[in-house]
Amino acid sequence: MEFGDGRRDVVDPEVRAYVSSLVTALGGSGADEDGRYVLGDDALACLRDLKKWLKLYDEKANRLDVARCLAESNLVGGDLLQILAAWPENATEDRLKSKIALACLELLVPLTWPLEKDTQAMTVNHHRHIPYLQIAQLGYKRAIINFDGARILHTAVRCALPSMAEAMGDRSTRDEGIIKLLLYFVRNIAMIAPPPNVQYEGDEAEISRSATIDAFDYQDILHLLLTVSSTMGEEFNTQDVVVLDILFHLIKGVDIEKLFVDEAKADNSKIDELKRLRQKEASMLRSYQVNAPTRHNRFGTMAWMQREDSKMTTISGQSAIMDSTRSLAKMDSTKKFKPPRKALKGEKGPMDFDTPVMLNVQANKHLRTFVEDFLDAGFNPLFSHLRKAIDREAERILEYHPRQFFYLVSWFLEAERVRRKSKVPSKGQKPEEIDNYSLVASVLNQEMFVTLNRAMEQTFENKSWQDLSAAMKCFTQILLTVQEMSESPLEEDQEIAENILSRIFYEETTHDRIANLTRTYKDQGFGYLDSCTELAHHYLRILEQYSKQNVDMQVRSRRRIRRKKKAARADGEDDPNDDVDDSDGEDEARAEKVSRDRKFDFKRFASRFVTQGCVDTFVTFTAYYNDLKPAQLKRAHRFFYRVAFKQDMSVMLFRVDIVALLHKMIKGPEGLDPQASCFKEWDELVKQVLKKCIRKMQERPELVVEMLFSKINSTAQYLEYGYEKQTASAK
Amino acid sequence: EKASKAALDEEVKITRKPQAPRVKLDEDRLLSAAGIPKLRNKAKHHLKFKGKGHEYSDTARLLSFYQLWLDDLFPKARFLDALAMVEKMGHKKRMQMMRMEWINEGKPRPDNDDLF
Repeated sequence: MEFGDGRRDVVDPEVRAYVSSLVTALGGSGADEDGRYVLGDDALACLRDLKKWLKLYDEKANRLDVARCLAESNLVGGDLLQILAAWPENATEDRLKSKIALACLELLVPLTWPLEKDTQAMTVNHHRHIPYLQIAQLGYKRAIINFDGARILHTAVRCALPSMAEAMGDRSTRDEGIIKLLLYFVRNIAMIAPPPNVQYEGDEAEISRSATIDAFDYQDILHLLLTVSSTMGEEFNTQDVVVLDILFHLIKGVDIEKLFVDEAKADNSKIDELKRLRQKEASMLRSYQVNAPTRHNRFGTMAWMQREDSKMTTISGQSAIMDSTRSLAKMDSTKKFKPPRKALKGEKGPMDFDTPVMLNVQANKHLRTFVEDFLDAGFNPLFSHLRKAIDREAERILEYHPRQFFYLVSWFLEAERVRRKSKVPSKGQKPEEIDNYSLVASVLNQEMFVTLNRAMEQTFENKSWQDLSAAMKCFTQILLTVQEMSESPLEEDQEIAENILSRIFYEETTHDRIANLTRTYKDQGFGYLDSCTELAHHYLRILEQYSKQNVDMQVRSRRRIRRKKKAARADGEDDPNDDVDDSDGEDEARAEKVSRDRKFDFKRFASRFVTQGCVDTFVTFTAYYNDLKPAQLKRAHRFFYRVAFKQDMSVMLFRVDIVALLHKMIKGPEGLDPQASCFKEWDELVKQVLKKCIRKMQERPELVVEMLFSKINSTAQYLEYGYEKQTASAK
Repeated sequence: EKASKAALDEEVKITRKPQAPRVKLDEDRLLSAAGIPKLRNKAKHHLKFKGKGHEYSDTARLLSFYQLWLDDLFPKARFLDALAMVEKMGHKKRMQMMRMEWINEGKPRPDNDDLF
């Protein structure tokens, strides 16, 4: 069809005619019926025809023409939602109405289905329609979660209730299909968000995460999720991946610390935050003002710098005459050349979990309640079920599911830890009343470690960095949980934790892998950088603590084991090869030896992190210092401290760019905020490192050249100690 | 009319001066007289530190020392960019051999008794 101005319609006119006549025949509202929506005579057939159009035209021919027509004719807002809203709660038994509602759901799911780009199958039509459809889907989501007349999502659940009520074994294929349809509908709604390159023109608040969570709470979707996940394996089986998908899109990027702050405290902390941010801004402005010109911009100062060989460099602007550092900085800033640089890789689409999301107070409250309920009831059944499915590579597990799985496990483990912290332990609590860690036990077993290790291995080999990032986050949280377990007052928890820790401590492959991950960072994006430095930091820290465990504690733990075995023996169980008979004195000697060995092992392990690659990774991380949180800055601080003073290899830090970074952090311009809490310890560290550096340069003049380069270990050894490393010791 | 057609058919030759070769910060430049030899020389004679208590001012001096040297060697790049480029050069075989040589120069001579 040709328009008057010569444009051509993007859709085949015949298709458009058919589809719009179907939409018209579906029903409508008129003045005669007080504006109520009245179904057309053959509404059900119309709905089925529309579904056929979507399936047989769009899907078969791989076009999006029908979806486009439906978006233009406002089918969702104008008809489907009206029809669903007209299905009253008390008419659930009405066969025809429930059939029609189900038919609406069957249309809604394909219409809200995520549009994927960058597939091989994309045609001209996709390129033409996808931008329009993405915006249209935002409109669908807004209409669905903000619908005034009725709870649309709740109505959708009602469509599937009869099927869900059946026992798992008795369900027909159709029942399974309906349940899946409902869950995918919820998934789609949770997933729809403005694409990263598009500015949404409507009210963002209507489709934001907060709005989604509020709607899910109000329409009882959160209850649905709880029910399905807590009975996973009993009532539900293959639905686990969809639930995983929904949970992922619901909580990705949510800050857990903020989630668990009390409301009263939240108000206070908001005021504090405002204060803090204003202080930060003020200090930023101050640092600019120190360098700002004191006169107007046409004042025309010109300075020159006398260089050797009677060379001169001219610099304009008042900042040039303040001091030599400023003039050098000015000279640098006028240069135009930029070396070619690779863009950072990183996920920007719906699978991105590194972009932080803000929630409003209401949504925060709802989500928090949900998370607590989920931890209490749904965590173990859902995640152990999923882990098994991943392990046996079930058909329903798609490529992105392991990533979501590991991310969610890490997220909920952290949530559990934060929740424990926020619970104030009452005084005089008996040990029996303290919760043990059984709520999250399903991800602390040996099978999980196997899965996790394999995932880290594979994703590293395949260079799928986002998956690896999620797995690293998961491992970090498991480590932190185990560490907290080892400090729990319950003996049982302590014992489990000790077992896990000792296994990790002696697992060389894991050591190698983690050192390797830290060493090989190269433009994988900030999210990845954050996960791998976090893992390295906690791994080192926890193993160090384990290696330092004092003799006394080990004696105690041996005694505990002995006592247990004795009890077991008393019960009549006989274990032929146990060493119960060693006495207390032997215990101590043995413990001393063990702790000595462990110290040595740890030292050897920690030395793997004193390579230039690891140092470079942490330097790249530290370069973001103005955007890092205090905990992240602390991580970098501890690492440098370890390299320079614990491992005595400060030479690794003596490189001009690292020295320049450290100097800039303290002395600016645009340095760390001097009022910040961590400034002092950084100041101290930097001062010590620089002091060593200057001293070393005087001691060994050849360092002047080596300051420019990454050092290989043997030269570093020589520069640090003045002798080569002895590879074979003479007898 | 014929003449104009012929003029049209005549091939238009475009002559372009060959572009001046781009200046690169490579090993040759780094090892030339203005490169690392000069850096070593300058460091020996001009780089002085105040020592204890003046860590930051000493470091500032050190940084400007390197910055001026790099500005002379490769004026078009910014300080940090040039540093990264130099660092990359350090992985080349030839550079590594030279680096070893410079380090060995500074090492104390082993006593002859130890050799056998």
